[in-house]
Amino acid sequence: MMSWLHPGFILIFGALLVPLFKGKWKEAYLILPPVAALIVVILMHTGVFGQIPFSTWHLPFLGYDLVFGKVDNLSFLFGLAFTLALVPVMIYSLHVKSSTEHMSQLIYAGSALGVVFAGDLISLYFFWELMSIASVLVIWHGATEKAHSAGYRYILWHVAGGITLLAGIIMYISATGSITFNAFDWNSDSTFWASMLIFIGFILNAGVPPLHAWLPDAYPESTVTGSVYLSIFTTKSAVYVLARGFAGFSPLIWIGAFMTIYPIFFAVLENNLRRVLSYSIINQVGFMLCGIGMGTALAMNGATSHAFVHIIYKSLLFMSVGSVLFRTRTANITDLGGLFKTMPLTAVFCLVGAASISAFPLLSGFTTKAMVVQSAALGGMGLIFVLLLIAGAGVFEHAGIKVPFFTFFGRDSGLKAKDPPVNMLLGMGIMAFLCIFFGVYPYPLYQILPYSAAAIYNPFTIPHVMETLELLLFAAFAFFILHKTGIYPPERRTITLDTDWPLRVLGGKVIWFAKGPLSTFSTRMDNNMKKIAADFSAFGEEKEERVFIGVSVMLALLFLALYLIVEISYNWIFS
Amino acid sequence: MDIMLAVLALLGLIGYVTLFLGTAEPRHRYGKQFLAIFAFTLIVMVIVGLFVQWPIEFAWQKVNAFYAMFGFAAFTFLIYAAKGLRLLLVKKEDYYEEKGV
Repeated sequence: MMSWLHPGFILIFGALLVPLFKGKWKEAYLILPPVAALIVVILMHTGVFGQIPFSTWHLPFLGYDLVFGKVDNLSFLFGLAFTLALVPVMIYSLHVKSSTEHMSQLIYAGSALGVVFAGDLISLYFFWELMSIASVLVIWHGATEKAHSAGYRYILWHVAGGITLLAGIIMYISATGSITFNAFDWNSDSTFWASMLIFIGFILNAGVPPLHAWLPDAYPESTVTGSVYLSIFTTKSAVYVLARGFAGFSPLIWIGAFMTIYPIFFAVLENNLRRVLSYSIINQVGFMLCGIGMGTALAMNGATSHAFVHIIYKSLLFMSVGSVLFRTRTANITDLGGLFKTMPLTAVFCLVGAASISAFPLLSGFTTKAMVVQSAALGGMGLIFVLLLIAGAGVFEHAGIKVPFFTFFGRDSGLKAKDPPVNMLLGMGIMAFLCIFFGVYPYPLYQILPYSAAAIYNPFTIPHVMETLELLLFAAFAFFILHKTGIYPPERRTITLDTDWPLRVLGGKVIWFAKGPLSTFSTRMDNNMKKIAADFSAFGEEKEERVFIGVSVMLALLFLALYLIVEISYNWIFS
Repeated sequence: MDIMLAVLALLGLIGYVTLFLGTAEPRHRYGKQFLAIFAFTLIVMVIVGLFVQWPIEFAWQKVNAFYAMFGFAAFTFLIYAAKGLRLLLVKKEDYYEEKGV
């Protein structure tokens, strides 16, 4: 039996060697760490490192036993999803020259794998924070003023979330004495508050409104390839930790359902395509959280498999929009349209991704999302079922219609962009293949689902296919009517205010107050205090005459005071 | 998965793509034909739907073409709701820059 290699460490240490290579050698080298990580994960499944579950890479730390390698069916599934997506994403980004950009992206991916395989809360926290730092570097590589400030706001959100998580972890460890990362006990009084703090730390990374504003703020500001990486790791590692720690936590059902609806309106109004897709991440993660909240085997399998295919089709969508941005230098709908004639391959790949996220039969979203919706029906949750159906129409609206239609069809913008370089096309091609593969033949995915694999789900039934097609095609018909009649809101050069508005405006006011009134006030106070201090110090420093004068004045005052006291006491006693 | 399902699913995808091709401007040479195919897929879905044995988890699933009506209504509702929110939440592109935050 071979000894296990941590796939996350392969990526992180692989990243450190990137600057040593140049030109073609660099391109050849860059593909190695993702492929090696994927091979390690596949070997895990074949039992080369021992039967799953196993636990390895122990490290003593402050009297605790840290576990970097805890592999069970759940962590294996997410590890596979991350590494499987990483290979085509790396192919897609091979043309990027900047070593530091590749390094930050690889370290980001590696730390997400660190989170997935962490067996204890301390190493989980370590990789969680490493992921935050690496991801902000990915954002800052956007190298614009907007990217810089959005990255700054992003790290503020994540520092807040990280501190909440750390506080929760410390409280949890001191209450239970154990650092093992398993399902949290939110029912017991001693661990309730600790669990809730950890929960808040987790859902901030999952992008749950109102703690989501960092996501649509920062993701669209990164580079073409950076956004693809960002769309994969942070939110899905949060889904993983919630699936492990909070399965069956019933508030997640409502949180998830709310999360599927809330971002739709913003996505409808948004002009920037990458921001539309960022909102759509929140919508999709909502389905996953809803399933985790239900906690049944079918719902959990739905949530985790949906995360798996979501990683693939969402990165495909970000890649195709990224290709348009790469060629036309814009991702604003107001500037785009009609590109299917000049970018036909990108258009086809985008349509595959869009149809997948909309859950068209024969494409990947169809085979997974239905498990969550079906669980709501089986659990008799009528309102949740309806909300998820509405969300299904909503995701079709913004990701299924808006993104491909206004980019590649719609009104012809006259832009004459061609398809992107061959490495980008290859990356998208592999992703599109995976979307179709898991849509037509989902059984390999079903077999590795973590919860009771015996009950294999069958999505291909006549009612399921028909309800999906009726819903989607008549939603498309509604689009046709609204678009023709001009009711569909035309795109304008605008932004949409979100939950970070009060923070940004209030933050701006605080800074204005500090720069203006507060600093004027403190300058004045400072000057006055200096004057008083100078007068006092004069006693010690200046000439003797002044000291004598000072002493005389003080003595005179003292005698005056004494006289007054005697006089008043005398009058008071003898009057 | 049997042939019938595969045909229906492919028809759905064809409807999806023909809507785009038929609605693009300036109008495609075969724009009208594309839209005709799209309309054909809608009709097929409704007719096939009449013969499907729907699972009845909730009372509303007994209604004929329930999902078709639901899809149409949900989509329209979302667009109108978003248009309402537009008045409240949409600002100029440089809103935050002007405020310096």
